[in-house]
Amino acid sequence: MTFLLRALILGLTLLFFTFFYLYINEDKYYPGADFQTSDMPKFELYDLYSEKVINQDNLDGTFLINVWASWCITCRVEHGFLVNLSNQNIPIIGLNYKDEKENAIEWIERFGDPYKFIIHDLKGELALDLGVTGAPETFLVSNGTLIAHYRGEVNDMIWKDVFMPIIKKEGLFKND
Amino acid sequence: MLIEIAHFLTILSTGLFFLCFIFSFLLSSNDTNVINLVSKTYSHSFLLFVLSFLIYIYLAVNDDFRVLYIAQHSNINLPIFYKISSIWSAHEGSMFLWIVFLTIWGAVYNFFTSNNQPLKAKTIGVISLTSVGFLLFLLLTSNPFEIILPIPPENGADINPVLQDPLLAIHPPMLYMGYVGFVIAFGQSIAFLVEGKSEIKWEKQVRFWSLIAWSFLTLGIALGSWWAYYELGWGGYWFWDPVENVALMPWLAATAFIHSLSVSSKSSILRIWTLLLSILVFSLSLFGAFIVRSGIIDSVHSFANDPERGLYLLAFIGFLVITSLLLFSYRFSILVSNKRIISLSKESFISINNILFGTLIFSTMLGVMYPLIYEFIYNQKISVGAPFYNAIFVPITLLACIFMYFSIDSKWQQKLKIDLFKNPSIISSVMAIMVVIFVKYKFLISDFWTLASIFIGMMIITRYIFVIFDYLVLKKFTNIYSITAHIGLGLLIIAIGLNNDLSKERALNIQINDSDFYNNYEFTFDNMKLVSGPNYDSVIADFIVKDKAGNEFMLSPEKRKYFVRGQITTETAIHVTPFKDIYMTIGDQLDDGSWIVNIQFNYFIRWIWFSAILMIISGIFLAYSLSRKRS
Repeated sequence: MTFLLRALILGLTLLFFTFFYLYINEDKYYPGADFQTSDMPKFELYDLYSEKVINQDNLDGTFLINVWASWCITCRVEHGFLVNLSNQNIPIIGLNYKDEKENAIEWIERFGDPYKFIIHDLKGELALDLGVTGAPETFLVSNGTLIAHYRGEVNDMIWKDVFMPIIKKEGLFKND
Repeated sequence: MLIEIAHFLTILSTGLFFLCFIFSFLLSSNDTNVINLVSKTYSHSFLLFVLSFLIYIYLAVNDDFRVLYIAQHSNINLPIFYKISSIWSAHEGSMFLWIVFLTIWGAVYNFFTSNNQPLKAKTIGVISLTSVGFLLFLLLTSNPFEIILPIPPENGADINPVLQDPLLAIHPPMLYMGYVGFVIAFGQSIAFLVEGKSEIKWEKQVRFWSLIAWSFLTLGIALGSWWAYYELGWGGYWFWDPVENVALMPWLAATAFIHSLSVSSKSSILRIWTLLLSILVFSLSLFGAFIVRSGIIDSVHSFANDPERGLYLLAFIGFLVITSLLLFSYRFSILVSNKRIISLSKESFISINNILFGTLIFSTMLGVMYPLIYEFIYNQKISVGAPFYNAIFVPITLLACIFMYFSIDSKWQQKLKIDLFKNPSIISSVMAIMVVIFVKYKFLISDFWTLASIFIGMMIITRYIFVIFDYLVLKKFTNIYSITAHIGLGLLIIAIGLNNDLSKERALNIQINDSDFYNNYEFTFDNMKLVSGPNYDSVIADFIVKDKAGNEFMLSPEKRKYFVRGQITTETAIHVTPFKDIYMTIGDQLDDGSWIVNIQFNYFIRWIWFSAILMIISGIFLAYSLSRKRS
């Protein structure tokens, strides 16, 4: 009887921890990640530097959209990783979110520019259509379709666990 | 420079805590020199660690935004109070605080326990090991000392506005204080198991520490419930939010534990229960930390998630829990008592309630785990809500209260004599029935469970009034603090029953200068104004509320938009009366210019927190009286 009791207590505890171990090691563990596909929204905004009008037709192929702002400290943490990515020839388009133009330009001058170009979204219009809740957020876009969305800082681990699986599955960035 | 010093001090104290563990477990712990050594090492290590935390506070107060964490969570414009509380507004800093509290408990125990105490060295050893585990977690996966290079930001970010509230600034510290306080009971029971001498009476020592920790835990939960009510605008006292549940489980286990302790500190009966519960309380506290900090569950409480953290915590907690259970299983024989529990004795009622509390903990755990298991297997998200918990908690809690009621008359190791007519029970039952009949017709309540909780709550309260009478007039000896705590319990179940049954809410759609009636009150929308606060803009709606007797008062619910993050918060307006709160929040403006306002009448909600306060005060006083008796 006492043996059974002890075995039961230990067994249940082991089961409990095993479950959580398995749960944590599942891929879907990242609550910030969202793989629902949708079409790239239409927009008309200015380029941060040239003040040229940019709309959805200026975007083609496969690329990342990174939502950032000079007031966002986490973006600063993320920035180094984005520079690495752009050095590996991954095209990144910046979406400067609710930010003063001067601050944003100063920020880029100070920390480096990983972006192909930067869309200046002062009022957060495009961000709203994209479903952005804050900064930083990153989207993976392929031929006019949003295929992955990550809320929060992208780093080595997130890139490997969240973005790489879908990039491999869809066979993206192969020609670049 | 200071930040590097703080970082270094933390690393140093981690090493010293580890040494402390090594000394206490590898050297013979009956040697006074060894105990002195362990005790000294611990206190030095503790001082270094606390110094490191004080430096951190200094840095936060002085806006040292070279520190990444401070830059991310504090702002130059914040009042000094929030600069300090911003330290525990997110993961790294709150973990830091959590460990500070863990070591404070150890230090206080170390200071007040004499070196002759046979379990002292090993208890401190266990506390040190636990601290080392969490310190490594802090340093390796969530380092609060990280620095931004090369140029620090000028103004910092901002603390989450929901957290800019004096109550929230103290709610997590209280809760952490309660959570980690059980490390002493845990340490002592592990020390007891390692020593393996059944004659050591560790229960007596532990009672004091556990009562204090229990009081903190109760306070933390009550404050959290109050915060959700008036700051988050949730409009109730309990929501079965996963994180509320993971705080409730250790509380339930701790409640069973302190009752079980009162039995096994008198005789060796229920030792198995007591020991298992002491492990369970601390394990559930750690489980709470794991759930919140691994980001497994989405909730208002969750921190930014990082699977590495979850894995580390899981491994360390798993190590602690499984090792202690193996030890428990290995030493099972020294815990077994040859005394039998006499049926209908006080012990028997307490052990029945242990089983009932166990059921509640198990059910809560099931409610927390079920969505995870479901998601794991079927890949779909579901949630377990109030109906599940109510269906289980209401009947089982009432049943436990009935057994508790019988235990009032029962005696230690004696069979309860049921002599209905010579006993105040009969009078208390009659009084309780009268109250129920009165309430039923006065407030038109027909729900069985509400009436049952009023009946049982009244039985407990009226029965205790007789006991208090005996105590005051006939000078009969009783544990007066236990009485006040249980009167608190009686009040709690009555208040919850009435609140559940009577409370009502309605959304009004109202234009400026219009008025509307609800629940015999007239609400007039008087004015709408725009106000700028120090770091937000807000809209304030002024309502004039008039009751039937013509008394007027003003309610001004508010909606704020914070500058830095653009976050919108609702500030509730509450009018408090002894029996009910009138609670208002504003929603959105409609196209025709009218506003949606939500009005709630929350009956007896203050009584819920009042009864919690009664329990907290009783716990503290009981602990105090125990420490007086001991010395």
